[in-house]
Amino acid sequence: MWDGIFTGLATAVMPFNLMMVVVGCFAGTFIGMLPGLGPISAVALMIPITYGLDPSSGIILMAGVYYGAVFGGSTSSILINAPGCASTVVTAFDGYPMAQQKQAGKALALAAYSSFTGGTIGAIILLFAAPALASVSLSFQSSDYFALMVMGLTAVAAFSGKGQVIKALMMTVFGLMIATVGVDVMSGTPRFTFGSVDLIDGVSFLLLAMATFALAEVVMTVLKGQHEEEEVQMDMAALGSMKLSKDEVKHVAPTIARSSVFGFLVGVLPGAGATIASFLAYGLERNLASAKEKLKFGKGALRGLAAPESANNAASTGSFVPLLTLGIPGSGTTAIMLGALIAYGIQPGPRLFIDNPDVFWSVIISMYFGNLVLLILNLPLIPYISRLLAIPRPILIPLILFFSITGVYLVSFNTFDIHMMVLITVVAIFLKLLDFPMAPMLLGFILGGIMEKNLSRALTISDGSFDFLWDRPLTLTIMLITIFLLVLPLLGLLRQKIYPPKGPEAALNEGEG
Amino acid sequence: MIITKNHIGGLIFLCLSIAYGYYAGQIPLLPGDEFEAFHARSLPFTLALLGTLFSIALLVTSRFDPKQKLRLGGHDFALVAQLLVLVMLFAVALDWLGFLVATVLFLIGGYWLLGVRSIKTLFIASVPFAVFLWFALSQLLDIYLAPGKFFSAIFGG
Repeated sequence: MWDGIFTGLATAVMPFNLMMVVVGCFAGTFIGMLPGLGPISAVALMIPITYGLDPSSGIILMAGVYYGAVFGGSTSSILINAPGCASTVVTAFDGYPMAQQKQAGKALALAAYSSFTGGTIGAIILLFAAPALASVSLSFQSSDYFALMVMGLTAVAAFSGKGQVIKALMMTVFGLMIATVGVDVMSGTPRFTFGSVDLIDGVSFLLLAMATFALAEVVMTVLKGQHEEEEVQMDMAALGSMKLSKDEVKHVAPTIARSSVFGFLVGVLPGAGATIASFLAYGLERNLASAKEKLKFGKGALRGLAAPESANNAASTGSFVPLLTLGIPGSGTTAIMLGALIAYGIQPGPRLFIDNPDVFWSVIISMYFGNLVLLILNLPLIPYISRLLAIPRPILIPLILFFSITGVYLVSFNTFDIHMMVLITVVAIFLKLLDFPMAPMLLGFILGGIMEKNLSRALTISDGSFDFLWDRPLTLTIMLITIFLLVLPLLGLLRQKIYPPKGPEAALNEGEG
Repeated sequence: MIITKNHIGGLIFLCLSIAYGYYAGQIPLLPGDEFEAFHARSLPFTLALLGTLFSIALLVTSRFDPKQKLRLGGHDFALVAQLLVLVMLFAVALDWLGFLVATVLFLIGGYWLLGVRSIKTLFIASVPFAVFLWFALSQLLDIYLAPGKFFSAIFGG
């Protein structure tokens, strides 16, 4: 393990990779600040840029963008009560009231310290948890892989929020359907190509990710008329001090420690992600608070800000565990990273830390640097970075549109892809209007090919019998967890009928991110 | 009776799943494939079945709640349609006019559609950006950007 850590350290401290961390954190912070664009869109916009880099640098850049976007989302939540992404919605509950009380500087500093601690604790646990889990998963067979993928896809649906489970399952199936377009890799027969040469290779991952998460998100802001909104005018002089007193640090330290570990554990669950972690951590902290302190929640409580901030960053790190060790993404953002790794010819999974130790370890080590960059560089620069929010939307929107389109075009140099993007964007907008979540579709699309291969292998070995699903104890255990995950939303519905939700938990219905 | 978002979504997915299942049956199989445990049609058939089941489940479980009604009012569909047409025109312009000119036209068109009317802003926010990007891609990164069929036809090459 130590050899690997040193390999990762050597790769991560290369000047170019350090620059990628810094660039990623800055770009992520800026994109994450823009209301409507979250970590998924930010990482999707980076994919074309990473194609020209080596795999380690590419993934380091994307990881930097990821935590930068989460941090940027917190900034806009605190300053203008406009969360950049779902995982920072809770940050606004107590962060914005603090800003209104002329304590925006303190709120931003606390958010940065909490994010840093959450991310660091997450990175340390990841350092030990990932190789341990990867060693165990080396014994996995195709039947276990198939079961794991079914579990991952089910988990994303199960955690997608109230009333969204069936829709998320439908979107997963839709993603799997899109993955079947093109030549079947096992038999070589074309499927759903309708005689078009452009569809022989199937739908490109980059195209689908950019159309559904970059282009569609931007177009949605135009559809809702958000481009006509006045640019935010912030009084930077009213930020106030960024210092925390000793007593305040003592007050929030246990909260940050608790929420970091809790957030990491939630993030490890495939499909749960930073959004659910932040809501749960906030709820947990409020339940632990004394009756007097409970009253402060929602009115600028330090603990109410520290808990979700630590948890969402720790969960972002935690979501790398299933990605790096099992090849199953823990969130929509890591799903995009999985696609990018596959595009590099790297198969994330138990063999990653043996076959590509530089990628595996450098990503983990760079996470620590990323958190450091956010604390040392981004925090003091926040007043200046926030000014970018003042760029008029009518100028910003065509530029983002342009980057989304050319990002795809410059990889394939085929204008058919742009027409295809428009078509997918139209479908995505329609699905968004009908409240269908997009992340399960992308996950289904990415895992579709690998899942089919493993299912085919497992069925061939078991001579066409589905016994492989319960023959091995490991496969059986995973399948039982899958069934439990499917039943979980029903149990949640039952619980809600008996104990109707009160307070912010009632708002927990978003699972993407 | 109120048709909600779930009912519309469920019906669309039901139609999609049935159509997908129909076309799954058209996938050509290799001789002897039908005797194999798994072939090119296996997964598509399963997905068509799952899609149909989930669609029916959504249709059956959805309530006729007025809050869930699809409301299209307040959305600027005309502007979105214009922007998407602009994107498609950009694709055509890339083929015919090349990267540089297509980018300038696309950005000016985009700004204009979103309400920018100052000629100065339109040009300052598009021309230097497009020239810088073209220079960075073609000269610094050595990426070949075709000049466009129109210019090739006139100047050759």
